Amino acid sequence: MNTLLPNGFSDLEQFAEWALPTSTDRNRKRRASSMDAINAFYNAMRPRLEQILAYLDQFSLQEMPQDAQRLLFLSLSLAEVTIAVELFHEPKVTGGCDPERFVVAREITP
Amino acid sequence: MKTVMADRRWIKEHPDLGTGPVPTDTCTSPKLFELERERIFRRTWLNLGREEDLPEPGNYVVRELSVANASVLLVRGKDRKVRAFHNICVHRGNRLVDGEKGVCKGRFVCRFHSWAYDTSGQLTWVSDEANFYDIDKSALGLKPIAADIWEGFIFINLDPNPSETLAEYMAGMVQQIHGYPFGQQRLLCRYRVEERANWKVILDAQNEVYHLPFLHITYPDFCPMNEHKFSRIQKFTRFGRHTVYSVELNTDHKMKPVESIAITANPRGGQVHPSMIGWFDFYTVFPNFCMLFLAGTYVTYNIWPLAVDRSIWEVSMYQPATDKPSERFAQEYSRCLLRDLLQEDASNHEAIQASLMSGALSHFQLQDEEIQIRHFHKEVRRHIFGEENGAAAIGNSREAAELRLK
Repeated sequence: MNTLLPNGFSDLEQFAEWALPTSTDRNRKRRASSMDAINAFYNAMRPRLEQILAYLDQFSLQEMPQDAQRLLFLSLSLAEVTIAVELFHEPKVTGGCDPERFVVAREITP
Repeated sequence: MKTVMADRRWIKEHPDLGTGPVPTDTCTSPKLFELERERIFRRTWLNLGREEDLPEPGNYVVRELSVANASVLLVRGKDRKVRAFHNICVHRGNRLVDGEKGVCKGRFVCRFHSWAYDTSGQLTWVSDEANFYDIDKSALGLKPIAADIWEGFIFINLDPNPSETLAEYMAGMVQQIHGYPFGQQRLLCRYRVEERANWKVILDAQNEVYHLPFLHITYPDFCPMNEHKFSRIQKFTRFGRHTVYSVELNTDHKMKPVESIAITANPRGGQVHPSMIGWFDFYTVFPNFCMLFLAGTYVTYNIWPLAVDRSIWEVSMYQPATDKPSERFAQEYSRCLLRDLLQEDASNHEAIQASLMSGALSHFQLQDEEIQIRHFHKEVRRHIFGEENGAAAIGNSREAAELRLK
């Protein structure tokens, strides 16, 4: 069986669905998720974050093995859900406009 | 701490801005919007992005400036110079280039009759040329638009004879910002948000920090605050038409867990450059361009009017160029945070506009921490009415009085 994430991070594989390559997709995933699901992801990732970043920093953004890139995407999803967890305590921006109206005109990838 | 917490501080330095309420009419009147088109947007220097948007010779960008009824073609020539033209074939006026951006492989060809132009705007081919009467291709290039570059930002001026050069127009900002390492930053993302709000309603909402602890209640301690928990800016400076307000770092800001890791992971993002006044400097470059320097990162807003009550808010976030995953994570955190806070602002802009359109509110009430807005509206009125002193800008406007009589 192919492992989705690098060795040592297999406990995070249950969250593989958060490994999304674009900001728009990560934002949609956050808004489509329950706060319980978001908290479960945040609580699993947060204690591992420094370790994850140290692992990822062995590579350059442009030249990463696929499993490391998935881990990077997971960390970018953590950045996305952190706002829901640490600020709004709900998936959406309380009192915000429809997020789909913030149309991405350009962005760097990954 | 450098920030002075005293009340009513800025008006002492800028008594010409007055203390009275400011008319709302320029946010609702179609007639005044027409004046803004002619007297502001067709006569001032307008930012259309950065040089990096056109990295190589032949790269072009087309911008539809509906506020000036103009389609603008920006292109980098073989000599690497960036030029601006009206995106119009001089034969019979067809739009020359379709699409937002691209690479010109040699010539721009009009699809109507195949007239062709090179990247310097010269007319190089006229189909069936011998059948025209005394045509002189060398005198018939694309219609040029004044264009110039300041610190990598591309500006155009639709006035055929601009009364000031771009450097003159930017005034003291040139010296203030000189040396900022724009070249070490890269565009992280750009959002385009179409809103049912006047362009100034959008700009005004960003042009103060008074609202931060209230509207952005989940992130309330961005700015230093006085003993009553009201925000105070560190400095307010005017450069001709333009202004900057500066905010000191709030060392009492309470970091959340992931926020704290993100801040640590992006050390260059936290470095304040010597050209900065505070830890956060917000420049309003008249009329519709804002530059926000946030320690080692910056953000720009270009707010493009579509109609008196509709605009496009373009938000571009720049961060230190990096190939390092941990920095990329930290930058993504900053992006998500700012985007979400701006979504709170956006819903507010539309609520304000809807209220103003009722006609029930003739004036805004502004306090000392909103002095930038006072300056900005004074400049808008000076441009559209030619009012030279502050009194006319803050009192009852003649235009408003006339409109009420109708």
